Amino acid sequence: MSKDSTTPPAGYDVQRENLLDFKVPAQLQQVLEDDGRDDDKNFMLTTLDEVFNWARLSSIWPVTFGLACCAIEMMATSATRYDLDRFGAGAFRATPRQADLMIVSGTVTGKMARRLKLIYDQMPEPKWVIAMGSCAIGGGPYFKYGYHVVKGVDLLVPVDVFVPGCPPRPEVLLEGLMRLQDKIRGREAKLKTPKWVTDYAKKIPYRK
Amino acid sequence: MATEETKMNSGWADQDQVPGIKSELMELNMGPQHPATHGVLRLLLETDGEIVYKVTPVLGYLHRCAEKIAEGINYKQWVIYTDRFDYLAPMCCNHAYVTAVEKLMDVEVPERAEHLRVVAAELSRIASHLIALATFGLDMGAWTPLLYCFREREVILDLLERIAGGRMLYNYMVPGGVRYDVPDERWVSDVLEFITMLETKKIKDYNQLLSYNKIFIGRLGNVAVISKQDAFDYGCTGPVLRGSGVKFDCRKDDPYSVYHKFDFDVPVGMGEMGTVGDCWDRYMVRVREIEEACKIVRQALDSLPGGSCQAIELKKPVKVPAGAAYSRTESAKGEMGHYIISDGGQTPFRNKVRSPSFCNLQVIEKVGVGQMVSDLVAFVGSLDIVLGEIDR
Amino acid sequence: MEQKAIYELLAGKIGAAALGFNDEGVESYAEVAPEKIAEAALFLRDEEQLGFNQLMCLSGIDWDGFDENGKGKSVAILGYSADGKPETSDRVGEGDLGVAYSLYSHEKKHKFTMRVRVSRERAVVPTVIDVWSTAGWHEREAWDLLGIRFEGHPDLRRMLLEEDWVGHPLRKDYQMPGQWEQVPLEGKDMTASPFTPTSTPTTGPTPGAEG
Repeated sequence: MSKDSTTPPAGYDVQRENLLDFKVPAQLQQVLEDDGRDDDKNFMLTTLDEVFNWARLSSIWPVTFGLACCAIEMMATSATRYDLDRFGAGAFRATPRQADLMIVSGTVTGKMARRLKLIYDQMPEPKWVIAMGSCAIGGGPYFKYGYHVVKGVDLLVPVDVFVPGCPPRPEVLLEGLMRLQDKIRGREAKLKTPKWVTDYAKKIPYRK
Repeated sequence: MATEETKMNSGWADQDQVPGIKSELMELNMGPQHPATHGVLRLLLETDGEIVYKVTPVLGYLHRCAEKIAEGINYKQWVIYTDRFDYLAPMCCNHAYVTAVEKLMDVEVPERAEHLRVVAAELSRIASHLIALATFGLDMGAWTPLLYCFREREVILDLLERIAGGRMLYNYMVPGGVRYDVPDERWVSDVLEFITMLETKKIKDYNQLLSYNKIFIGRLGNVAVISKQDAFDYGCTGPVLRGSGVKFDCRKDDPYSVYHKFDFDVPVGMGEMGTVGDCWDRYMVRVREIEEACKIVRQALDSLPGGSCQAIELKKPVKVPAGAAYSRTESAKGEMGHYIISDGGQTPFRNKVRSPSFCNLQVIEKVGVGQMVSDLVAFVGSLDIVLGEIDR
Repeated sequence: MEQKAIYELLAGKIGAAALGFNDEGVESYAEVAPEKIAEAALFLRDEEQLGFNQLMCLSGIDWDGFDENGKGKSVAILGYSADGKPETSDRVGEGDLGVAYSLYSHEKKHKFTMRVRVSRERAVVPTVIDVWSTAGWHEREAWDLLGIRFEGHPDLRRMLLEEDWVGHPLRKDYQMPGQWEQVPLEGKDMTASPFTPTSTPTTGPTPGAEG
């Protein structure tokens, strides 16, 4: 075997050198020095989790799961004036297998409870639940004497965001959706309850 | 019967025709979570391919115990539960309930309150019919009408919010009157302006977009015909009964409130695109009822009398003398009735609600047989049911 | 047509089974013995002068010993003798169930109300589904919520609640269930402050669940 066969072809060293000689481009060098805060440099450093979460929060697909009165407000939210699509959450899926958000919009009854659980179980991970309206939160007006009403959907499935109202206005549902987006982003909710609200609410007498 | 004919024609149900191949009816479960069943209705179908042999509706997924609650709280408190029966036309339900209570109480309601009730109920009726149009279009695969109908509905909700304070469920009427007077003179002119716009422009839009669309007509003409006899037998009321060619409307034939003062027509199905009583007739009755409701609103506002809005002080609970009465009104879906038994106290002894959708839906057990599954979707859409008042 | 005249026509047909007519209240009604109700219904529908072709409402009622018109007006069916005739009593029933039929005629434009009363122990009323098909679901509902059995009904299942539900909710002595088939139906503790979280949501992206 001649020595030639193992000899690298001409110019190999140069190529190899070029490959190994990795120099940080001047642009990136500057970005790294600036802690990535400069936006016009077209570079972004991030973790994979953040990218995934950003994708998830920007295209939440809710399952078409209208139960009662609140379902009409949910429809109104996705229709002309309020346009849920602005938040990327307008693609209502008829099957839970393609959805990642369940908006429980209305009263959950004893008969419906099993089905609700079934639909929740069919949704792929990761999944989120919004309890919309006072019935889904805690039985609402059907709390007393409501022999067939589940007093709160969080007794059945874990809930991420509670949206109050009977029924909640579409604006409130949008607010709830944005809070859910904050949660997916892993960021603390921007909107904190003002102190005067908590102080006032503490004065309300609760039923003993 | 349709069943026999379809069995003969399809051939697959007849096991002997294809030797060695055994076929049987398939059970298909539709709902309760289904986009075309308008809520949580569940239909158990027995089908042979696409042909339906048997329909068994399963109800109760939204049974919220309203009648039991009625026996525990007083008459005025229960108004909010009537809102939640037919949540598409809550004012009509309020009206039905307060009419029943007033019949037992024998109280004179101020003229102004009656006019405001009529205006509110008719605006609610328009909103409900707009939703019916929108979702019916959606069931048939037309997305655009939904956007148009919701646009106008939002205006109605705004108008009603200005007078009643709530966006969707109002708790506006109380036994003896209404809670709030007209907020200002501009409200009246705004309503009139909206009504004029609806009459002159928007209904034409809907007709162009949906009603006279060739695909839409082809999909609905001659489909799911309810005969006059069936409609009477199954207790159908409202647009379903009128779609079958029966000129019956509680507002005309059994007048309550101040409806006798107004001049309006009762549209009936005429079989323009097929047979009398098909899906298109029922749909078209709703479109024409929007026009009639506009007429009533205009007349009621033009002749709005002055004076007070409440005959009974608002904050006091009412006492109803002992007795029992059945009272009915024309809700957006049909005849909404209350059978109230009072023992002379502040809570009703028994309050049975006769809801129109409950009776209208029942006809599906007969007429749904022999349809294609896709036509059954059209049929359920044309009945315009609301599960809130079916299950109560 | 006058209510009294309708009642007299009806009484002429079913005889002693027409137990009385009351027009003192807001709405007059006829009391009919339960075992003759189907016959009375058929007569009311088919008689030419009457023509009640719509059953507006069928209401089941738990009277619970109460009568809104004072004592003695309404008659309780205590039981049945060997030949099927009802044994009635003058006293107001204790724990009675009842059904009210509200009728309307589209042709003649008149209304009529019939009522039957049965005892709690033997709550059986013949069905009128053959007369008006709309009675089918109303009767199922009355069976579901009040436990009145309609004899001859082809499909008397529960209407709104599931088949394995215990009890009939609209009866006055009904006890609310705390749980049914592992579905919790009892309320949460309302005395707790709403600002201390009672449940911790566990959803959200879990590490390693991607892909």
